Amino acid sequence: MGSILQVRGLTKRFGGLTAVSGLDFEVREGEILGMIGPNGAGKSTTFNLIAGVYPASSGEILFRKESLLGLPPHQIAARGILRTFQHNRPFEGMPVIDNVLVGAHRLFSGSSRREETARRIRAEELIEFVGLGGMALADVGTLSFGQGRLLEIARALAGEPRLILFDEPAAGLAPAELDRLSEIIRGIAAHGIAVLLIEHDMHFLLPLAHRVVVLNFGAKIADCLPDEIRQHPAVTDAYLGLDAART
Amino acid sequence: MIRWLGAFVVLSGAAFLLGDYHNDVYRKMLLWVTLALGYNFLFGICGQVSFSHFAFYGIGAYSVVILLFQLNAPLPLAIILGIAICVVIALVVAIPSTRLEGFYLALATLALAQLFVVLLNEGGSVTGGTGGIANYRLPAIFGMQIRGPWYTGVIVSLLLGTYFLLQKLDRSWFGRACRAVRDNPEAAAAMGINVARTKAIAFTLTSALAGVAGMVYAFVDNTVNPPIFGLENAFLLLFMVIVGGSGRHAGAIIGAALLFLLPFWLSPLVGHHHVLVFGVLMLAAILLQPKGLVGIWDRFSKSAG
Repeated sequence: MGSILQVRGLTKRFGGLTAVSGLDFEVREGEILGMIGPNGAGKSTTFNLIAGVYPASSGEILFRKESLLGLPPHQIAARGILRTFQHNRPFEGMPVIDNVLVGAHRLFSGSSRREETARRIRAEELIEFVGLGGMALADVGTLSFGQGRLLEIARALAGEPRLILFDEPAAGLAPAELDRLSEIIRGIAAHGIAVLLIEHDMHFLLPLAHRVVVLNFGAKIADCLPDEIRQHPAVTDAYLGLDAART
Repeated sequence: MIRWLGAFVVLSGAAFLLGDYHNDVYRKMLLWVTLALGYNFLFGICGQVSFSHFAFYGIGAYSVVILLFQLNAPLPLAIILGIAICVVIALVVAIPSTRLEGFYLALATLALAQLFVVLLNEGGSVTGGTGGIANYRLPAIFGMQIRGPWYTGVIVSLLLGTYFLLQKLDRSWFGRACRAVRDNPEAAAAMGINVARTKAIAFTLTSALAGVAGMVYAFVDNTVNPPIFGLENAFLLLFMVIVGGSGRHAGAIIGAALLFLLPFWLSPLVGHHHVLVFGVLMLAAILLQPKGLVGIWDRFSKSAG
């Protein structure tokens, strides 16, 4: 499978601190790539560099062979990379379905009633898909935290992404909600959408990801299959070591 | 379509039933409602705190009068140029300030509103200085002189046209983008919305609408003068939208009608103290019901249904 996103030599410095240094990895079409690492490993910084929130200090990010460097977030979204937020960021003043329709912003070609109706039907399907069926007209303020996370996903999917970025989607969810979330993410990948998943929770990520990139101190220390990760010496030292020592 | 036509007939027809004085109050109320609808789109729907909306009303009014009677431009040209002036000034203010956080737009528009009044007062023979410009008449349109209650029909058309346009925009992807920008600019950008451009378009569009309303206003009293376009009315407009219920067209309409008419009812009862009563009511509305009067109506109709 060809790669959809290529990251080469990506570096981000905040003053004297190098948050990400010389990072290389790629996301392939239709795969779920997990990115893990201990706190402060540079996961979120990497995420924000791809999403256009921060400018990179050096390196290159290619999406379908086109550079993303220097593009603001809305232009990155316009190219088909949509994201979720770790801390849910709904549009408070709108019902669920309008939140999802904002996600479809990049697809609107005019303001015809026919297009609006078609997108509305599609939005309702997505609301159903993530498991919020029947809540289309609900006020977003009435959603639970877990439901808010599902709304984040439906909203990102509404933009028909080619690549979807998940920023710690498991954070704050109950075990039953995690199973549902895994199922949804598998469903997304099964539709041919590439997934980049930044995650803290290994137990959630390893069964889900097709491939895993491990970061530590802003650099890549492993790039392997989920099954191989427990044997990877650098990873056990940096990350699992803590876990292994505890158990 | 029939509903719009019906609204036009009823609202215009009312002018013929009212006496001269009441018709004057009535059409000024309609103008306030028009302004509040536009300001609600900018402040309530797009979340931009701007104080120049009323100044654009003045810019529209003065532009059309100066173009018509100082420069002898024909009416259609005066209208087009008047709109162009509003658009250019709006873009000059919006493009730099909407790129910054909301506070800077408030400051920039406050400065513009102040500057505008200073320019009117110091404008010499062009603006007529402190006395403004008076004693002109709306030129004949297709040989017809539109006067008295007939002119109310023009104001009603303005109101309905503004309402129609804003409502259509609000229900489109653009209106949704505006609300998204208001609620969470970062998430809006992540969904592909160009936040700065959306804000600048909403600002320019609503400012131009205020300018058009100002052009219509110029022929209500057939005089334009600086005191009307001061900051006091800019704040009144803000209060109208907040008290009525910001973000809702119905709120803007109710708020504007109520706050405009309130002094007429209060003055006979409490004389000059009506301003005080006004202030207390305003505070009560803001503190007790942040969703405004439409919020009270919603609660009422929900518990009844």
